[in-house]
Amino acid sequence: MKLESLLSFTCPVKINSGNKALEGLPFELTGLDATKPLILTSSKETGPKAIKTLLGAFGDSKMTFGLFDGIDEAGDLGLIEYLKNLYLKNRYDALIALGGRATDAAKVLNVAVSQKMADARLFASEPPIDKPLGPLVVVISAGATGLETTSWAHFGNRVYRSEYLAPSLAVIDPRLAVCRDAAAIACSGLAAFGRAVEAHGALPENPFRRAYSFAALRFLCENLPAAVSNPSHRNAALAVANAAAMSGCAFADGGNTTLHKLGQAFSGTGHVSAGEIMAMALPHILEDYKKTGGFDLAGLLHPLADDNTFAKTPENDRADAAIGMVNRLIADLQNIAGKALPRTLQETGIPGYLLEDILEALDADPDGARLYSIAQRMKDGVPSDAKKG
Amino acid sequence: MASVREISAGQKPFKRAYVAMFLWFTGRAIQAAAKADDQVKKEFQSLPEDFTFSLGCLPAGPWMVVGKKNGIVKYLGGTPPEKQHVRLAIKNLDAGFLILSFQESTALATTRNRLVTDGEVPYALAVIRILDIVEVYLLPKIIASLAVKRYPKNWSIFRKLKGRIAIYSRALLGI
Repeated sequence: MKLESLLSFTCPVKINSGNKALEGLPFELTGLDATKPLILTSSKETGPKAIKTLLGAFGDSKMTFGLFDGIDEAGDLGLIEYLKNLYLKNRYDALIALGGRATDAAKVLNVAVSQKMADARLFASEPPIDKPLGPLVVVISAGATGLETTSWAHFGNRVYRSEYLAPSLAVIDPRLAVCRDAAAIACSGLAAFGRAVEAHGALPENPFRRAYSFAALRFLCENLPAAVSNPSHRNAALAVANAAAMSGCAFADGGNTTLHKLGQAFSGTGHVSAGEIMAMALPHILEDYKKTGGFDLAGLLHPLADDNTFAKTPENDRADAAIGMVNRLIADLQNIAGKALPRTLQETGIPGYLLEDILEALDADPDGARLYSIAQRMKDGVPSDAKKG
Repeated sequence: MASVREISAGQKPFKRAYVAMFLWFTGRAIQAAAKADDQVKKEFQSLPEDFTFSLGCLPAGPWMVVGKKNGIVKYLGGTPPEKQHVRLAIKNLDAGFLILSFQESTALATTRNRLVTDGEVPYALAVIRILDIVEVYLLPKIIASLAVKRYPKNWSIFRKLKGRIAIYSRALLGI
């Protein structure tokens, strides 16, 4: 591994993962100097059982907290203004987000309450977030987006980025990691997989980022197929949730990558899961990297394969072997999940007019030509070169 | 638009009662073991004269406090004093239940970051050694093996039997 003469890495998130990790929340909140948190969630996304488990974790803590179960997909800043006023009026001192949708809302709300914004509805035009914010705890549930642990917030069509947006603590509990929906776990795992792949191969190399992406990829290769074929498999689901958190940490340090942009564009406008889109786009992106360079494809083989396979593979063959392994994993998952995991853009059911909107939006991006070309190939159902072979 | 519900944290009466009962009996058993077992006696002799330690759950107990005064070890009840040499605090009641119902050994719980130790580490380690010995006396081998890091192999049957009778009777009578 090459050591760059200058590198930096920021991941301010503490992660508590494992059996009864949720029960440690009152203790952790005390450490964050918080006594009255506000919980944000959406029972439509996480299910009522997850909320009950979270509330039960506070048992015997003598704490009082608020619960808002109404975070929707709309991403309306009016909701943030409403919650900001309630937060300040009822003197809450921390935010707990349960589920991916609530996490984005909590990150935006945290800015509004910490900076005491006069009107959160005008957030889009506010100055950048350049000061530490109040305590934010993220409880990762089944179907995590992987963006929970990042310094990004996607709220409505707005994207916010600041290292201060990252949560103070992420909690991963196996009781919340399992679910009955194989497609939700597959999408969560594939989104994490895509981000980890891009973070791992990104140049220049960063050993700190690679520590997270390596572990995320190994966890996913070893556990994602098992978790998708049996979503109530506790250990496999926990491993996928952990990998999602790790991929977020690895991604947070990288840039706004091609795959992430594609995933967010389709999930934001087309209302399909970012993981589904990333699974379709990843083979095309890796093929492009193979032709253009600027990405360490050979280095990707080590986390994807076991140590022996990596050592046995000649250095010149590692890039092709890595692409082959990525394609195989995606194909295996699509076979296991069946129709629940679409293979083509047609199967996602995105209406034609929305597809055109997405392509237009992608074309307007600074990296538009590349994004447009990949999306067009996905739309036309062109198989990647490796699949053709 | 949905509204914010204000909720007070619930109670866990069964777990709380179990942990309180366990700590109460263990506290009395430590007092008894300090008289009945030479190894425990020696451990306490190496500790300062007014040594006090507590073991319990955050944030609101229950707790067990044991202290030494004039060379005599006593169970001091369930209210931790302001000043003590060692405080072994389990981060929450559920973790306390896991440890004290032997689903997790003390060593495993420590590696899983479920315990906080306030005070000098050598004193805390002496307390852990004392707790391990007391658990070996109080529990059948199959359960004690789950609770302690290593079940002692070199203890004679005579030591175990004599110690168990002495510690159980002294703990029950409070002497």
